[in-house]
Amino acid sequence: MAEQPVDVLIVGAGASGAAVAWSLAETRMRIVCLEQGDWLKPDDYPGSREDWELSQIRDFSPSPNVRGRSEDYPVNDGASPIAASMFNAVGGSTVLYAAHFPRFHPSDFRARALDGVGDDWPLDYARLAPWYNLNSRMMGVSGLTGDPAYPAEPPKEFPLPPIPLGRLGETLARGFNRLGWHWWPSDSAIASQDYEGRAGCINAGTCLLGCPHGAKASTDVTYWPLAIRHGVELRTRCRVREITVGADGMADGVIYYDADGVERRLAAHVVIMACNGIGTPRLLLNSRSRHFPDGLANRSGLVGRNLMFHPYAIITGIFDEPLEGYKGPTGCSLMSHEFYETDGTRGFARGYSFEMLRGFGPVATALYGMAFGRVLPGEGHHRGYAELADRTAGIAAICEDLPEPGNRVTLDPDLADSNGIPAPKVTYRLSENSTRMLDHAVARGREVMTAAGARDTMVQAPLTMAGWHLMGTARMGCDPATSVVNEWGRCHDVRNLFIVDGSIFVTAGAVNPTNTIQALALHIAYSIKQRLSNLFDD
Amino acid sequence: MRPGKPTPLNDDERRALAPVLDGFIPPSDDGVLPGAGELGLAADVDEVLRREPDLHAQVVRSLAGLDRLAARRGAARFTALAAEQQAEVMTELSCSEHAFPPLLLVYTFGCYYKHPRILAHYGFEARPPHPKGYEVAPTDLSLLDPVRGRGPIYRRC
Repeated sequence: MAEQPVDVLIVGAGASGAAVAWSLAETRMRIVCLEQGDWLKPDDYPGSREDWELSQIRDFSPSPNVRGRSEDYPVNDGASPIAASMFNAVGGSTVLYAAHFPRFHPSDFRARALDGVGDDWPLDYARLAPWYNLNSRMMGVSGLTGDPAYPAEPPKEFPLPPIPLGRLGETLARGFNRLGWHWWPSDSAIASQDYEGRAGCINAGTCLLGCPHGAKASTDVTYWPLAIRHGVELRTRCRVREITVGADGMADGVIYYDADGVERRLAAHVVIMACNGIGTPRLLLNSRSRHFPDGLANRSGLVGRNLMFHPYAIITGIFDEPLEGYKGPTGCSLMSHEFYETDGTRGFARGYSFEMLRGFGPVATALYGMAFGRVLPGEGHHRGYAELADRTAGIAAICEDLPEPGNRVTLDPDLADSNGIPAPKVTYRLSENSTRMLDHAVARGREVMTAAGARDTMVQAPLTMAGWHLMGTARMGCDPATSVVNEWGRCHDVRNLFIVDGSIFVTAGAVNPTNTIQALALHIAYSIKQRLSNLFDD
Repeated sequence: MRPGKPTPLNDDERRALAPVLDGFIPPSDDGVLPGAGELGLAADVDEVLRREPDLHAQVVRSLAGLDRLAARRGAARFTALAAEQQAEVMTELSCSEHAFPPLLLVYTFGCYYKHPRILAHYGFEARPPHPKGYEVAPTDLSLLDPVRGRGPIYRRC
């Protein structure tokens, strides 16, 4: 017997799917979320094992291609200098993210008006500010108010005090101070103290391999338990193949494969896509029909186009003294927005942020040292290792990427996942603007490392395994000819289809996007709730 | 199709692997730190490699290659050669199609730098980070005084 249609069907249980599910739960509609991954348990994470650092080589690599789990889908990123990174499970990529959680700046929403590049968003910082604050409470964000890189009003709210900088962070902070540059304790989606049933961070430093302690705010420990308690049904190991369309051109459900590989259909009155900036265009492009021969909601031809990563540079300083850099959250200590806003004298539009990284663990010291030619096999090995052991500090430069139609996600004609669904193919070129920005960031990164006391630096630019931030492939806008969704996430072409993930970003900003993704998801959920009686009207 | 879970290396294969690992990480000049083979990591590396059957099979083939090259020198097997001859054979193998896969080096580094004796030498506690974690001192927020003193830096728009 066919299953009754659900009111709302959410595809994907990551950062945005969790937030929108929780927010809509209060409507008491029947809401089902389909997630291709599974629940992970604290014991699944390697931080409690002696070989914890080795797990990043394969099982907990950020790359789905390297992990090769059946829950993942492969990504053909051979035509991109930046490899796609993501994780498929309840919590999505928040399971492995660093939880560095800054907001966009007001200028990020007006790049065209201010700098003549990219496009303007159909909403602004003030509109999102309440949702940032709600998300801060829901995720349990640690931070310090008063950051002069943001407007004082409305204030950024943090329910928890900032993560301690540690010896390494204070060393770098002094370097920034010597140069007179901005820095501030990171906005961190890591509980610095016990919060809402989650234990406070114990500074174990295994954030990128999942947090066995539950201090890091992956959505499997934040939004999802609440959403489920309020009646949302979450089905795991259910992989959606396509969104189906009725005779009226409206979405009417999905076809998916369950854990046993059995093809199933679930009908729905509203479909919400929350599959990230690669997964969402992949599914839309794979949902062809008489109404949408080029892919669902793609009359503009923009689905999959304008893919933005954040080109990264990593500047690693080598110091003479131990820094205790292995103590504390990997990517959350301090940030600098000194070079965030456009300065015409720099030779590029827009800007970048610095995110301080802790030092390497014992194994990572050897492997990164080898990659840089500093810790080689054979003679001299021990001397090379001793020079790096607990004597490194890193800074990540996160550069704003500009939207370019040629940077895109398409369907690969040959590659497929374990259910035979076509895999996404990424075609991406690093722009001249990004290249100049990376050069500037590397020079400034070296400068601050030297000011902090580093005797040498090592540089990776652009960082290859850095495609964590997936944005722009179903952009938001007012004009159906130049955008895929409207200012509250509804597809122009399909009035009961919504997108809430990073696909809808118009520009990329120069900070980690998860906080903005979730603020947008909360904004969209609120907009849906306000319009329930006329949700599908023009 | 991936091969099944590999069988562990036999004793002779582990003995043959030890000088290979010592070539990657030799003893320190002052003799304080042992080489990777001397530390007995062949068994650890074998265990890690067995999680990756394809890689394990490559290493087994390379070890067989060492025996073949040893046979050309009149030895019954690689482990029967003197240390100097073993070094020659390893160099010869490294230039051939049966060279050890690069990931063997990665996993050797990985096993060496999780060994309690090595961790203790460098001042790391020989335990996983969880569940004990680490103490980090509270931050001296007066460090922010110059940043606060400078005032807003965001772009008004």
